[in-house]
Parts: sequence; structure tokens; C-alpha cells
Amino acid sequence: MSGENGWPTAELDDVRRLRVMAEAIPGARVSERVLPHSLDEVWAVMGDLEDGFGRFQPDMRDVRVLRAEHGRVVALARSRFGMRARLEGTLRPGWCWLQSRFLIIGMAAAPEPGGGTRVAVTGGVRVPSRAAIVPLGARRELDRALTRLETMF
Amino acid sequence: MTPLSETDPHDPGVSLARAALAGDTLAMQDLLAHLAPYVARVCGPIALDGGPDAAQEALVAVFRSLRTLRDPAALYGWTRAIAVREAVRVARRDARARPAELADVPAPDDPELAADVRDVLTRLSPEHRAVLVLRDLEGLDERAASRLLDIPAGTVKSRLHRARESFRKAWSA
Repeated sequence: MSGENGWPTAELDDVRRLRVMAEAIPGARVSERVLPHSLDEVWAVMGDLEDGFGRFQPDMRDVRVLRAEHGRVVALARSRFGMRARLEGTLRPGWCWLQSRFLIIGMAAAPEPGGGTRVAVTGGVRVPSRAAIVPLGARRELDRALTRLETMF
Repeated sequence: MTPLSETDPHDPGVSLARAALAGDTLAMQDLLAHLAPYVARVCGPIALDGGPDAAQEALVAVFRSLRTLRDPAALYGWTRAIAVREAVRVARRDARARPAELADVPAPDDPELAADVRDVLTRLSPEHRAVLVLRDLEGLDERAASRLLDIPAGTVKSRLHRARESFRKAWSA
């Protein structure tokens, strides 16, 4: 890839960006898979907060989008344990980052050079209002989410 | 893309860095989106094929050590220094992993200018590429480049001379 005046420039896809975010947040883990589907097909599920998202995220029972404009989104989420969260963040094809006072949710997808789409997820229970995640069981939950996602195609 | 401001406290990157330091992960992702093109522009010509790895590792280093940034107004100079350091490190690592490729450089006769720049850069060491990026792409003077690379100004001058000579030869061939 080349930028101005023909100088080569590096490309940082959304999965790489998610890894950077997770490395910067104490307690955060990343789970990744390569799915044999196009980015559009994968994101049609992952980025559909009110339907697809709630079906593969193990802890989400109900998500309602209150506002979505210019890539910013506000949503109300209810966990299967009944807890509610007001999530705010960014949603665009290949990238979703949401936070509430007690939750952080990160998802990314990018075309895999060998074919298919690499998906990555991070997040979990947030140390209230801080850029940190309670690490207990976070990796297991993320793996479970991606295992569910794989079965949805 | 022109070099980003070094000192403006009202710059969006500086405000985002302050909010990210306060624990706002939305500000972190916005800061990442803001810095990523800049880091990619610095890492690409130095790390070449390792550019995406270098950019990722540079941004990890930037975000992990954000707390050590005493003055958020120094964000861009600090980010640039980390990006150059990581790009040189990744390029050296890649060169060790694939030493044969350096002797097998394609001739710079591609009609596309982009291919020419890349081919000439491939003939230079990562350290020479770093000097070239700082002087010709980032517009730093020799003293600033020598400080950032932690090498004498005379070394910057001689590396730059050699790098520019490589470009001159490639285009006059």
C-alpha cells in the first residue's frame, strides 16, 4: 500500500486495532477466529446489535438501540441475569466498541489474506468507570461467544 | 498528510489523550483512530512488509505507556519516536528472518513511481530508511533527527547522503 508521493504506508486493519485496545486495557483478553465467510456476511450478524449480537454473546438477553447516527450508537442492554447497561460507543462495518459504567464490549472483523474473515472480540466486566476489565472468566466468555458465532452461518 | 502539531493543547489528539488517561475507553478508541494513520505513515517506509506489525506494536507501546506521557501536548513527537523505534526493530527482525531477500532486490525499472520508491527503500538498511523518513517525510532537521534516533548529527548527515544517493542513482539509471 502506498501513500503520498509513492511512499509505502502500513495498513492497520480493525482486528489489529482491537489487539492494540486490548493490550492497553489491563485485564482485557482477545479471542480470534477465522470464519469461511465474507466480511459483509459476518458483519451482518456481529454488527446487528438488536438481533445477531444478542444471539452469540452469551450474557446478552436483549439489546435495544436508542440512537445511531454518524457511526455513534447508544443502546440499552439487559443481561440474562437481569442487569441493565446503557452502552455508548462506535459501530461501523468491521468495528464496534461500546462501554457502559460496568461493561466494555469490543468487536472487530477484517478480511483474512488467505480467504475468509478474521473476527476478534474483547471486553467483559469493567472496573467501574476505569479502562480496566475484571479478568475473571473473561477469556472463557469470549471463546464461548465466538463458538456460538461460528454456528450461526 | 502534513506532520501533526507538536504543541497545540487544543489539538483533538491531546484532548483525547487526556480523556483516555482518565479511563474513558471511547476516547482511547478515538485516539487510536486519530493516531493510526500517522503511525502507519511513519512505519510503512521503514518496516516495509513488516509495516502492519510495526504499526500495531508501536501503537501498543504508545497506549501502554500513555501514563508516562507527562505533557499530553508532546503526544505527536513522542508517538513519532516510538513509531520509528518499533519500525526499525521490526525491520531488523524481518531482515534476520529473511536475509536472502536483501540480495534479491528487483531492479527499479517499474513504471509506477510507488514501486520505485519501495524498491529503493528495500536496498537501504532500516536505519537509513529511518533517517530518510524523519528528514524527507516528517521534515525534521538533522539535530532533531539525531536526538530522536540517539545517534550523532554527523551520522544522520552521512546516512541521509547515502540514502538520497541511492534514490538519485535509481532514477537516473
